[in-house]
Amino acid sequence: MTAITVNGKIYEVASEARTPLLWVLRDELGLTGTKFGCGIAQCGVCTVHVDGVAVRSCQMPVGTVGQRAVTTIEGVGSTTVGARVQKAWLDLEVVQCGYCQPGQIMAAAALLAANPDPDDNAIDAAMSGNLCRCGTYVRIREGIKHAARS
Amino acid sequence: MKRKTLLTLVALVAVAGVAVLGVVGRMVLQPGPYAFAGGRPVALSAYRGPSPTGVPAELALADTVTRGAYVASMADCQACHTAPGGQPFAGGRAFVLPFGTIYTPNLTPDPETGIGNWTDAQFLNAVHRGIAPDGSRYYPAFPYPSYTLLSDEDVLAIKAHLFTLKPVKQANKPNNFGFPYNQRWLMAIWSVLFNPNERFRPVPERSPEWNRGAYLVEAAGHCGECHTPRNLMQALDQRRKFGGGVAEGWTAYNISSDTVSGVGDWSAADLAAYLSTGHARGRGVASGPMAEAVELSLSRLTKSDIGAIVTYLRSVPAVKGDLPVPAGPAPSTPQTVIDNPVGKRIFEGNCASCHAWTGAGAAREEAQLTGVRTVNDPSGANAALMILHGSGAGTPYRPAMPGFGKAYSNDEIAAVTNYVTARFGARASKLTAGDIGRLRDAN
Ligand code: FES
Ligand code: FES
Repeated sequence: MTAITVNGKIYEVASEARTPLLWVLRDELGLTGTKFGCGIAQCGVCTVHVDGVAVRSCQMPVGTVGQRAVTTIEGVGSTTVGARVQKAWLDLEVVQCGYCQPGQIMAAAALLAANPDPDDNAIDAAMSGNLCRCGTYVRIREGIKHAARS
Repeated sequence: MKRKTLLTLVALVAVAGVAVLGVVGRMVLQPGPYAFAGGRPVALSAYRGPSPTGVPAELALADTVTRGAYVASMADCQACHTAPGGQPFAGGRAFVLPFGTIYTPNLTPDPETGIGNWTDAQFLNAVHRGIAPDGSRYYPAFPYPSYTLLSDEDVLAIKAHLFTLKPVKQANKPNNFGFPYNQRWLMAIWSVLFNPNERFRPVPERSPEWNRGAYLVEAAGHCGECHTPRNLMQALDQRRKFGGGVAEGWTAYNISSDTVSGVGDWSAADLAAYLSTGHARGRGVASGPMAEAVELSLSRLTKSDIGAIVTYLRSVPAVKGDLPVPAGPAPSTPQTVIDNPVGKRIFEGNCASCHAWTGAGAAREEAQLTGVRTVNDPSGANAALMILHGSGAGTPYRPAMPGFGKAYSNDEIAAVTNYVTARFGARASKLTAGDIGRLRDAN
């Protein structure tokens, strides 16, 4: 049994320590807002925060989370930055099909928490690993700047 | 006057002859693989300590099948004698050598295409002396100069193991060596010079653990075949033992106890973890041929055997190399001035998610780049090969890095490799598209 803290709540996890955090979130805890795309850290759709840092949960063994706080798309709205990003996303209608967006929002929120006024280079560096098949990249960049201003 | 010219000529020829003899002599008259240990090695039968051969004590009571499989794992026959995606032990794996391509033979007990009709004596002759049942010679790509140290019993345990396998009908492929390398009889001369044809001789002055380690490393594991440089005659240069070599285009790094280029600053725990799982924190992940050695051999060995290997490895004298001291962590933002926009773009899209801009590894410790030898190797060869083919030991649940060779051109692979070594390593590599093309061909 491993205990992990997700969105402020402590969960006892039965999965083996080497199980990817993503599987635990979705299959064991029922937090299906975090999506699966590639499973090899190439698409960003599974992004969550671990102690505020954007992490690909498909690559993180649950046993290595330890005491650190996990935040998912279900919980990020309760942080100031997360709420601002979500509002910006709605204001600008960033979302197309939506599949990549939990990951985009988590990556954007982590970026803004570390760097409140990112320029294009900083946005590229933080967001390039998050793919969007619908091509919403232009609106994502705008959304981040909008959230930074608000 | 004429006489004087003649004399000078004769003298010159004599000097040249002596020089050639000296060079060849130095190559031939080499110390043995563990001569550095000193002491007075004795025949196996005369050794008083626990036997360094066979299976470890934990498995002494196991059935013959288990013991045979274990000895076969110690010698790692499977890695070379299996084609990619092919039947285990059925051979057909290609090795691209400077002289041409050679294919490993079928070791399954099929009577026609495998070794089903071989007698014990024939098998011993092959493994100890490099001589096939028809009297022809094997090329030393087959590491018989190492296997010659194996005890008769262990060689026959391997044979017994092979004979438990399902026979696979798969004809051996001929090599495509050109003249003179296609003259197999030349290998008879090579063998006389470089294969001592002598079984392992324990060193009573060293601990039983050390002796077991020496047997595992030198006789069965044949580590030196990749990690020891070769001389002009393609024999291992034991004076630079474990100083680093090449394996299928990959650099087999210095594993002597040199603290900078070798593994002298690795703790025993680091070495044990790396060997048994393919990874130790901050030391990178075994890739390429070493990943196979871990998957098919080292990860199957008992803890005591891994411990013995570590004890032996740490006793090997330092061989200096020219690899730099690894660099520290990179800054957490990409804003370092590295004039390589293509490399940076590929890194930020494909690599940063796992490796992080600092190089510390984002989601798991295996993705750490800081301090890892591959990244701190200015040749960039292994880094490029990992980017081309991916990495990660095949043991279950180990992390795997995907290969990008099919997604990116040679220019792009060169750019991202040069970016990674510049950002995270001690000195940037300067690979070109041509270099990447050659690395692709070597594998
Ligand atoms: S599912 Fe984790 S990055 Fe694609
Ligand atoms: S909105 Fe459809 S994948 Fe990004």
